[in-house]
Amino acid sequence: MLELKNIKLSYGNTQVLNGVDLSVNRGDVVSIIGPSGTGKTTLLKCINYLVKPSSGTIAFDQLHMDYAQADKKAIQAIRLRTAMVFQQFNVFKNMTVLQNVMDPLVVVQRKSQDEAREIALRELDRVGLSAKRDSYPSQLSGGQLQRTGIARALAVRPDVMLFDEPTSSLDPELVSEVLKVIKDVTSSGITSLLVTHEMQFAKNISNRIVFMDQGVVAADGSPAEIFDAPANPRLAQFLQTELAFH
Amino acid sequence: MIPELMTALPLTLVITFVALVAGFCLALITTTLRVVRIPILSSLAALYVSYARSVPVVLQLFVAFYGLPLLVAIFGMADFFTPTVAAMLGLSFYHGGYLSEVMRPAYLAVDRGQHDAADSLGYTFRQKMMGVVGPQAVHIALPGYGNALIYLTHNVALVMYIGAADVMATAHLIMERAYNQYQFETYLVLAVIYSIMCLIIWVIVRYFERRSPMYVPAVGRAKRVAMPSL
Repeated sequence: MLELKNIKLSYGNTQVLNGVDLSVNRGDVVSIIGPSGTGKTTLLKCINYLVKPSSGTIAFDQLHMDYAQADKKAIQAIRLRTAMVFQQFNVFKNMTVLQNVMDPLVVVQRKSQDEAREIALRELDRVGLSAKRDSYPSQLSGGQLQRTGIARALAVRPDVMLFDEPTSSLDPELVSEVLKVIKDVTSSGITSLLVTHEMQFAKNISNRIVFMDQGVVAADGSPAEIFDAPANPRLAQFLQTELAFH
Repeated sequence: MIPELMTALPLTLVITFVALVAGFCLALITTTLRVVRIPILSSLAALYVSYARSVPVVLQLFVAFYGLPLLVAIFGMADFFTPTVAAMLGLSFYHGGYLSEVMRPAYLAVDRGQHDAADSLGYTFRQKMMGVVGPQAVHIALPGYGNALIYLTHNVALVMYIGAADVMATAHLIMERAYNQYQFETYLVLAVIYSIMCLIIWVIVRYFERRSPMYVPAVGRAKRVAMPSL
């Protein structure tokens, strides 16, 4: 369904992605783990072109794009088929919770106000935020903000959900409410890519784990292969540190 | 005295209004050029802003009054160049440059994540600017914009130096006619007139500041208490 080949990207002199290959099948829930600064978030942002790789290709079903000759039409087509949940929530600050979820439907997808409202209310109900629909972001907790972000992403009916460390900016007691919603989303069969440091959570909800190290995919396998019998010494070391910490 | 000053007030208001509208348009164009970074055009925009901000307003008015007629004379339009027109153009030019440096930081102050969220959802640049980034930038820019309007109103008083018959020029005329007997009283009336104009501007800007959704305070935010001095 989604295939990334030889993705390379650098910030100045720092090579962040060093030729990443990754393919995702429909219905997959893929967790991307790895040390900080290894390019996990950057890889996710390459998919919807929030950052521009210097080289590489992306294939999304029938759609192919070479990043060296990216065209607006292909970028827009990919963006309309993906939805991202951000580490810093990035909920639109000038809109209420309901408007946040409705706006992309009305502005981008050209749905009617009534239809957008109906979808938005359904998604807000799904993430347990119906009561907060008229609140502004400045009136919400971190967990509520992230659930708004998830509702907004779900409402556009994406083929692939991209979760970029959705719980990293939350207080520990707010993490569980967001993880519960993500678990509900991923178990509904929607294809998901999740960058996370929540190892146990990744193990429980994913059918595939990708370990990134120094800008490449260093290990790729089922949760059992990755967590219970890590073949890669760097992965073993990383898991030992992460699991000891948590 | 007051009725005579009032007859000149419409001209002051018209000059202010024209400079306000034209300056806003100029600032919008200049800010866009500086933010989007188009070679040559962006540099020219930066040069213009530098001129508008660094040259005293009264000098800018002189340049407009003495310089622009030479330019338009090429097209045979020198007669059209009255002091009032020069005042409007000179102040528009000044206000546009000044305002651009209110708009540009406001645009840059909008969190990068807001751009990312809109882009990732497929918003076009125009949709993003109109619906997401623009309203937030406006909220940030409002206090600075209020200041810019107040400075503009103050600077309209300088148009008398190029011969425009605004309230300031009229006040001088009244004082000279009375052999400079009532200078304090005349200036006091002028001060009240300018205070009222600035107060109206402040109230309008404040109204829009309060209307802005981002103004809603966070629930449970602790009351601000003064830090006790050590």
